[in-house]
Amino acid sequence: MNENHNRKVDTRVVVETPEGVDFQFVIAGPGTRAWAWLIDNLLKLGILAGVGILLSAVGVFADSSGNFVTGIMSIIGFVMNWFYGSLFESWMNGQTPGKKSAGLRVVRTNGTPIDVTSAIGRNFLRTADMLPFCYTVGLISMLMTRRMQRLGDLVFDTMVIDERREWISRTGGLTANIEPLLRSECPRRFSVPERTLAVIERLFESDRIISDARREEIARPLSEALRKRLGYQDPAPDPRNPHTYFRTQGFRHTQFILRVLKTFADDPSGSKGNSKNPQASANRTAMKKERSERDSSYEENRQLAGLSSGEPGSES
Amino acid sequence: MNRERFIRDRRNDWREFETLVSRMKNSRQAKWGSRDVATLSRLYRSICYDLSLVQSREWGARLEQYLNDLVAQGHNCLYRSPPQSVRAVWDFFAVGFPRLLRRRYKPFLLALALFLVPLIASVWVGYTRPDLAELIAGRETIEQALKSYENELYVEGDSRYSSERTRMFGHYINNNTSIAFQAFAMGVLVGIGTCYVLISNGIIIGILKGAILAKGNPTADNFFSFIISHGSFELTAIVIAGAGGLVLAQGILIPGQRTRGDSLKFHGVEALQLALGAGGMLFVAAMLEGYFSPLPIASSIKYVVGSMLWLLVAVYLTMSGRERITHEG
Repeated sequence: MNENHNRKVDTRVVVETPEGVDFQFVIAGPGTRAWAWLIDNLLKLGILAGVGILLSAVGVFADSSGNFVTGIMSIIGFVMNWFYGSLFESWMNGQTPGKKSAGLRVVRTNGTPIDVTSAIGRNFLRTADMLPFCYTVGLISMLMTRRMQRLGDLVFDTMVIDERREWISRTGGLTANIEPLLRSECPRRFSVPERTLAVIERLFESDRIISDARREEIARPLSEALRKRLGYQDPAPDPRNPHTYFRTQGFRHTQFILRVLKTFADDPSGSKGNSKNPQASANRTAMKKERSERDSSYEENRQLAGLSSGEPGSES
Repeated sequence: MNRERFIRDRRNDWREFETLVSRMKNSRQAKWGSRDVATLSRLYRSICYDLSLVQSREWGARLEQYLNDLVAQGHNCLYRSPPQSVRAVWDFFAVGFPRLLRRRYKPFLLALALFLVPLIASVWVGYTRPDLAELIAGRETIEQALKSYENELYVEGDSRYSSERTRMFGHYINNNTSIAFQAFAMGVLVGIGTCYVLISNGIIIGILKGAILAKGNPTADNFFSFIISHGSFELTAIVIAGAGGLVLAQGILIPGQRTRGDSLKFHGVEALQLALGAGGMLFVAAMLEGYFSPLPIASSIKYVVGSMLWLLVAVYLTMSGRERITHEG
């Protein structure tokens, strides 16, 4: 799947680590970066106001003219203006408070952490990126480069990545309106090996340009084998509205493997489904839906890898 | 090896790695224990191997994603930028910066010309053609400048002195260094902004100098004794920052044998170093301008000290960081 993700129109960049592993980064877009920028600027204002109030409270006693406070404030304003980003980015490994809250991080384009020089440089070049107003130059530059770099990023070889990896529910939007299989529909086994699910996923990968009819053709042997394994039989047509039956017959294999995907891939515990009655299954579906709406990708992956609490060796 | 056995075998390592990383990622690398480092790097490498195994055998997107996350955490934990020391800053100003400037003397000379030629021309304009000078710089600016140097700034050190100096120090830092950094940053837009900053500053300073010269003493004496000391660092630094901007522009316009992108990256670091060096010089300039230049002392002392400072800047930039040549025998 790696080379497919290295296409031009994509927000993912693959970097090879020194250990020889391909590693994916999701590039942050202008919207997220603007949000982080906004938070950073609010914070800057807050710091300036806070220090100003504090200093003038102290300064009232020391010096009546307020000159001293003004002097200190211009120095702090200068540091905020030119070094806020680079100080935080070098201390917090590529993150400012705003970037942290938006889940962003600055890294070099080879994936290694940003160094002090690049941090200072990319923030200095903001001056040019801001021109003529509202970061127009930077925006144009971001739209023209694959890694969405503004000029500061381009010159100092950095990129901003999005670390908020929302779990694209592994079936994507594919199985949104698909009914999961019920245990009662499958009299034989109720499990599908992971490799088969991976094959189904690849069949539906969005960058595979396959016509629906051709996909149905490819799905047929797989579908037939799975039907045999699960003991699944297509239900007879509903005599009251037979048209639905005939409408779905054309793509019944595609439909079936999608149902398989929905049932076994979305829910890690689905393969162990012991529930006999459809009611319990429906409950499980509801639970599953709830869980997939949460942003808990990492936790789910842990569960799949059998790492979460509960019975560790249950899969064997 | 099948997937289940693989998971069962490797699970403990993954767990151990998780706890280790979550403990170590928030502490500085210098504080890590040697056993932890050894374990972490061993586990990291083995998990990288696990990830590539899962990728090639297609054992499911989730397992892959999980391991990918583990590798990401380990990668962020292990590969950090090297810590910067105070020593490196000292080395930069003592050796790296003057050497770099000498190597990049061409953009420096060009920036100097862009600054000096308009300056000299406008000194002449300001001296001989007050009407034209007013048109260029604005009547108010000139009148204000003339007025503020009519009298000596401080006849004697009074109580106002110290607090007001700090205000001006902050102002100089903010204002002048920002101009210098802008001159550098604008270089990325093929140097147009850099040229503008250099030329316009040259013109304004020149016009004012010319107008003050035309006014004669004591205004001229007050003015020149004020600016001579910090001018050494300040004007040189502005030109150097401009040279940094021109180096950036050179990266785009004259990439040589590199691609334009590579050339920008190559020149960008050196351009930034020039700008940072200039920033350091401007800090010194702001100190001088804030606390020394307005001292209520005889202007002859200021001229002497100021000339020494110009000499110091020249010696620093031309001599510092040269290898000592030892003559033997």
